[in-house]
Amino acid sequence: MQDPYKNPQFHEQLRPLLEVMAGAGIEGAVKGLSQMTGQIITVTEPSVTLINLNEISKLLGGPENEAVGVYLRAEGQMSGQIMLIFPYERALKLVDLLIDVPDGTTQHLGSYERSALAEVGNLTGTFFLNSIASMLGLEARPTPPAVMVDMVGAILDVIIATSAGVSEQVLMIRATFLQGDREAEASFWVIPDPRVLEAFIASEYTIKDSSHKA
Amino acid sequence: MNNIVVGLGEIKISNNSDDVLVAYGLGSCLGIAMYDPVIHLAGMLHAVLPTCDPNIANSDACVKYVCCGIDVMLQQIIGKGAIRNRIVVRMAGGANMLASSSFSDIMNIGQRNIESAHMKLNEMKFKITGEEVGGNIGRTVRFYVTEGRMAIRMMGGKERDV
Repeated sequence: MQDPYKNPQFHEQLRPLLEVMAGAGIEGAVKGLSQMTGQIITVTEPSVTLINLNEISKLLGGPENEAVGVYLRAEGQMSGQIMLIFPYERALKLVDLLIDVPDGTTQHLGSYERSALAEVGNLTGTFFLNSIASMLGLEARPTPPAVMVDMVGAILDVIIATSAGVSEQVLMIRATFLQGDREAEASFWVIPDPRVLEAFIASEYTIKDSSHKA
Repeated sequence: MNNIVVGLGEIKISNNSDDVLVAYGLGSCLGIAMYDPVIHLAGMLHAVLPTCDPNIANSDACVKYVCCGIDVMLQQIIGKGAIRNRIVVRMAGGANMLASSSFSDIMNIGQRNIESAHMKLNEMKFKITGEEVGGNIGRTVRFYVTEGRMAIRMMGGKERDV
């Protein structure tokens, strides 16, 4: 199979569409987070970039840096993978934000804290996928999430191993979640199945929901 | 000590006594080292995927696959003077990072990497003199060229020899 990111049509057609979809997806994810926490959570304008696989760990403090990864897959017409990664210290801050305790309270990620992070992944992934699927008139079924607490390199191997056979690049969406004067930056790695990307490019998908324009 | 980073899908070779070949944060990836103890020449491969597509056997991308990577690494260290029947092999990595989840059976690339390496090295009649593979925790792997030893470190843990 050829690398879909090397297809010029990807850059001309699909990438602008993905940028709009990313915005809608993140809006959906934030609604889910706000519902989960009962707090008003907002998000900064997400950035969508294509990143080389061997560059990812540098963005996260290096491959030996400790981090938390929340991983899920999407199945159905829009299949692919989603990984949220937080450097360990930021994961602690995010837990503080979610359970509404002062910054610095959470010192360790036990099973309760990991469940909270899994739920972040579950909600953000599900709402993200559903927003995009709804825009395109497609079906997507997210799987339950898996939470990993380990070195960045080891966590990233989950997506690198499944992507590296087809493409040297993955899509990265970066967004900062804000609650009051607190913020927690998260990196969202969205890895559509290359077959799905190729189908998107070939079919020249248009956005179904006219309130969003490419 | 001079750390020589072996990145994803790379091979690094050294016979410099100050060098340490390092593969950081191996999850499902495998760090495979070949070493000639007489001339203190070491090679380390950071392999990502288990299977070898014959269509890319001659390309740079081949090295990210376990079997092609081992072939290329052997050629490179023999090219630098290693003698085949002196070479010892050690490896580490191949963890299943999703072991506790519902994905574990369908996505155990770590285990497939280990099996591919065992099969390949067995075919080539190399004996693995030390390995620390499998499990579900990431490892940083170091190969100390002058001493010819491999050591691993896990998150929060101390370095120990393989």
